[in-house]
Formats: sequence, structure tokens, C-alpha cells
Amino acid sequence: MTYLPYVIGAYAVFAVVLLWDFLAPRLQLRRELRAARLRAARARKPAATAGELSR
Amino acid sequence: MNPVIRWFHLLGSPPYFDRFAARWAPWCYLAGVLLMAVGTWQALFVVPADYQQGDSARILYIHVPSAWMSLAVYALMAVYAGVALVWRIKLCEILAMACAPIGAAFTAITLATGSIWGKPMWGTWWDWDPRLTTELILLFLYLGVIGLYHAGDDRRASARAAGLLAIVGVALLPVIRYSVEWWDSLHQGQTVRVFGQSSLDPSMAAPLWWMVVGTKFWFAGSLLARARADNLRREAGRDWVRKLAEEGA
Repeated sequence: MTYLPYVIGAYAVFAVVLLWDFLAPRLQLRRELRAARLRAARARKPAATAGELSR
Repeated sequence: MNPVIRWFHLLGSPPYFDRFAARWAPWCYLAGVLLMAVGTWQALFVVPADYQQGDSARILYIHVPSAWMSLAVYALMAVYAGVALVWRIKLCEILAMACAPIGAAFTAITLATGSIWGKPMWGTWWDWDPRLTTELILLFLYLGVIGLYHAGDDRRASARAAGLLAIVGVALLPVIRYSVEWWDSLHQGQTVRVFGQSSLDPSMAAPLWWMVVGTKFWFAGSLLARARADNLRREAGRDWVRKLAEEGA
């Protein structure tokens, strides 16, 4: 194949950028769900904390 | 109520959209990957090399679909932004802003693959040619929209400002499209026409169409996934998000 390094380079760029495009929203989604879980856990805690403070 | 209109109303509900996006994004990605895999295999191993450009012409099969996507995604982003500005539909804001990074990715691919193709054919990685320069401005517009959206603390105000930029930037699209006709350009003229006579030999056309359809499905998958993530961020603290997070734990 002629110009092989250029062809490989171009297809590699295409694959890498699409891979980023695939991973970025998945990571963001995971962050959002994790933050929601932590928020829910914090929301359950305050009652116990308030009790400790009042003692 | 008409079921289609009812479905559109339902789609505006954040929890409903989340379920919809979670269900369909993987299928769109899968269809996109399969179609692009067939296109890539044909582009690299089936179609003949170009009689002048040799095998470097195989770059066309990723360069041209990406270039078309860079323009189409921008136009769609502007439409969503317009609808969001006029009717204040939150989902349209989310979709418009989700278009920007995907469009920027396709524009970056267009510029990079064009540069890689240009080196052996033109003898240079870059030239301030009208087509290349306007496509670079398009990338800056996408980056501007992304930057504006993330600049402020108030998501809705930021989305409105970014949406306005997206709408104004639409003026660039015909300039990019006709730049090779309006000015003397190093970039070749239009090779592939959807309507009318194409100068691409029919024996070389099939992989291009696989890639064109494949990139559309990929875009749909990515748009749903990105919009879903942004929807969750905006709805943080709501009961349905908490339940969803706990179900996934």
C-alpha cells in the first residue's frame, strides 16, 4: 500500500477521537450517579449528626 | 392527543428522557460501530487505489463523512438552540449543548485527517486556504459554545448565551460549503454529490455511504449519552436521580 503511514495515521486519529467521544459521556454519567449516591448518603446522615451535637 | 405529539411531550420530562436515552444510546452506538466497521473494511481492503493519489485517497472515507458531520451537527445545534431560546424547552438546551463536543470532535477529525492527507498530496501539513481556514473557525466556534456553556454557574443562562453564539455562527456554514467555489482554493472542489453527478467513480462510492450512515448513528448514540449525563447533572438532588443512583449502586 502506498502512503501507508499517512493512511494508518488518519484512521488512528479517527479511532482515538471517537473513542474519546464514547468514553467522555460514560465517565461523566458515572460521576453524576456517584455524586447522587453521595448526596443521598449525606442526606440520611444529618439526623445522627444533629443528635450527637445536641448531646 | 395524537400519540406522536404525546410522545414529544413525554420526552420533555427529565426522567422519561433518561430512560429513553439509556435504552437507545447503546443501540445507536452499536449500529454506528457496525456500519463504520463495514465501511472501513471496504475502504481499506476492497476499493481500488486512486489512479493519481494512490492509497492516500482512502483517507477520503473518514475525512468526508467527518466534514459533513461537522456542518450537519452545527446546523442541528443551532436549531435546538433556536427552539430552546424561543420556547424555553430545557431538553432542547441540553441537546444543543450536547451537540457541541461531538461536532468539535468531528471538526477536529476533519482538520487532522485533511492535514495528514495534505502532506503527501500538497507537500504541506497546513495552508491558510479558504476551506481549511473556515473549517478551523468552525472548530473555534464549537469551542466557544462549549466554553460559554461551562463559564457560568447558572446553567440555563450559560446555555442561552452559548445557544445565541451557535445561532449566529450558522452564517459560517454556507461560507465553508462554497469556499472552494468562491475563492481560488488549494482544496479540491466538490467530489461527492448527494444530488447530481458525482465525480467519484461508482466503484469507490460504497464505503463512503457506509461511513456516512455509520457516523450518523454514532452521533445519535453520543448525543443521547451526553444529553443524559447533562440531564442528570441538572436534575441532581431530585428524587428520581437518587433512586436511579441507588438502583445502580
